[in-house]
Amino acid sequence: MKKLKNLALISIALGIGLGIQSCNPSSQTAAQKPDGLQGKLVLTGSSTVAPLVAEIGKRFESEHPGVRVDVQTGGSSRGIADARNGVANIGMASRSLKPEENDLQGFAIARDGIGIIVHKENSVSSLSNQQIIDIYTGKINNWQQVKGKNAPITVVNKAEGRSTLELFLAYFKLKNSDVKASVVIGDNQQGIKTVAGNPNAIGYVSIGTAEFSINNGIPIELLPLNGIAATTENVKNGKFPLSRSLTLITKTQPQGLDKAFIEFAQSPQVHDIVKSQDFVPISK
Amino acid sequence: MGDRAKIDNPLPSIIIWAIALFVTAAFCWILGDLLWHGVGKLSWAFLTTAPQNAGRDGGIGPILVSTCLILGVCMAVSLPLGISTAMLLAEFTNDESWFGRLVRRSLDVLAGVPSIVFGLFGNAFFAVKLGLGFSILSGGLTLACMVLPILIRSTEAGLRAVPADYRLGAAALGLSRTTTLWKLLLPAATPGLIVGLVLGIGRAIAETAALIFTSGYVDRMPESLLDSGRSLSVHIFDLSMNVAGGDSSAYASALVLSVLLLLVNGIATWTAQFWLARRITP
Repeated sequence: MKKLKNLALISIALGIGLGIQSCNPSSQTAAQKPDGLQGKLVLTGSSTVAPLVAEIGKRFESEHPGVRVDVQTGGSSRGIADARNGVANIGMASRSLKPEENDLQGFAIARDGIGIIVHKENSVSSLSNQQIIDIYTGKINNWQQVKGKNAPITVVNKAEGRSTLELFLAYFKLKNSDVKASVVIGDNQQGIKTVAGNPNAIGYVSIGTAEFSINNGIPIELLPLNGIAATTENVKNGKFPLSRSLTLITKTQPQGLDKAFIEFAQSPQVHDIVKSQDFVPISK
Repeated sequence: MGDRAKIDNPLPSIIIWAIALFVTAAFCWILGDLLWHGVGKLSWAFLTTAPQNAGRDGGIGPILVSTCLILGVCMAVSLPLGISTAMLLAEFTNDESWFGRLVRRSLDVLAGVPSIVFGLFGNAFFAVKLGLGFSILSGGLTLACMVLPILIRSTEAGLRAVPADYRLGAAALGLSRTTTLWKLLLPAATPGLIVGLVLGIGRAIAETAALIFTSGYVDRMPESLLDSGRSLSVHIFDLSMNVAGGDSSAYASALVLSVLLLLVNGIATWTAQFWLARRITP
């Protein structure tokens, strides 16, 4: 009886082992497809871009059954580093490449604006650039100083390595060490939740995400920047000053599968996906 | 004396009751909140279909499969290693020996290491150095490293709690060391092993930070252990922190995760009791 039980256990273990073994070749044989595109594409980088590219990847997979698109996150800096040292086929960054990164190739797939957000109950409806700078550097620390109610300002800043932070700092010509932050956050949604939960907070997030949240009743408000309303419309027509390109990055001029995927991600075929992820499509 | 204290001074018992109630209430609140927000989205289709629109729509089928595979790899690796190390520590090394103390001390330090450190280690060692890439195997092995200290220490404690009479009795009967261990001591130490299992599974299944860097973010149905697969905890983190409008799916996924945890714990406890404890009870 006991022997039988042991035998059963061993056979189960063997079965699992064989199952694992047999999985690999079968997935490779399935990759033989007439259109010639096959293989695995690894993309890493910005958490803002990742959900968008994952959805684009799914559609690409359904059109080319031999291809697997694996999307991993970790931030724009990681995307650029992984593309440079070859850990990933393609890196993702939520900004354009900087001049000192000209050893890499960048391909914009969508645009996104960064808007200043405050709680809906906040009576302040606009801030000048100088006021925003003073708030973020701690020179203004009470809403009263900008014609609001008497309450301390909770400054929400992004964590190091986030391209939203880099863009924000570059636009306002700030250094991160100058920023006197009360809260440091990672992803967009976290920023929205932090501001929605604190009537005295100010933060900055992706305009598409903020618009989506406002339409779903989240108590936040987008402030205009330099007198220009923070809307996806103004991001699309290029009027909104603080906007960024979501960029795919490769080390060398893309070939084969990389090239096909980047072209697909830039094509009008994916504009509906870009919109559904609250970004602004780029018309070529 | 004890009776008089009870009558004269009800305050301590009131405080203790209040604290116990508070702890229970906190648990019920969390569970109630999950049920309230999550149960509406829950259905058979949610459990079996693939996520769509970055997880806002669709289900969690592939993610559930990945989670179970990661947990499976983790347990398949950590259980044999953990039990053997616990045996070595409890039965084959002297309490005072420098080797035992060194191993025990390093395990305790390891148990307290933040999970993100394990994640970075797993990424550097399993994913890059061993070339496993972002895969369920990398994730499971990283989790095994995390779970091992907990498993070893509680199994060791379980073995130490077995009265010395058992060992002497077995020796007097002329049983070999292997037989004593396998048939007597290990079954008698089952309670310790179960504590380790429950804590270990809990830590593994709730892990997010270590898995983002090892098993990854891909929400496709895994085809082999070398595929990247998103775990439930990573999915919940992404939905609530990175995807606008993902909250209802996040709640439903969190509910599934809680139920899965209870289920896996139940199965693990039952199996351990079935295989081991039955051997020494008539």
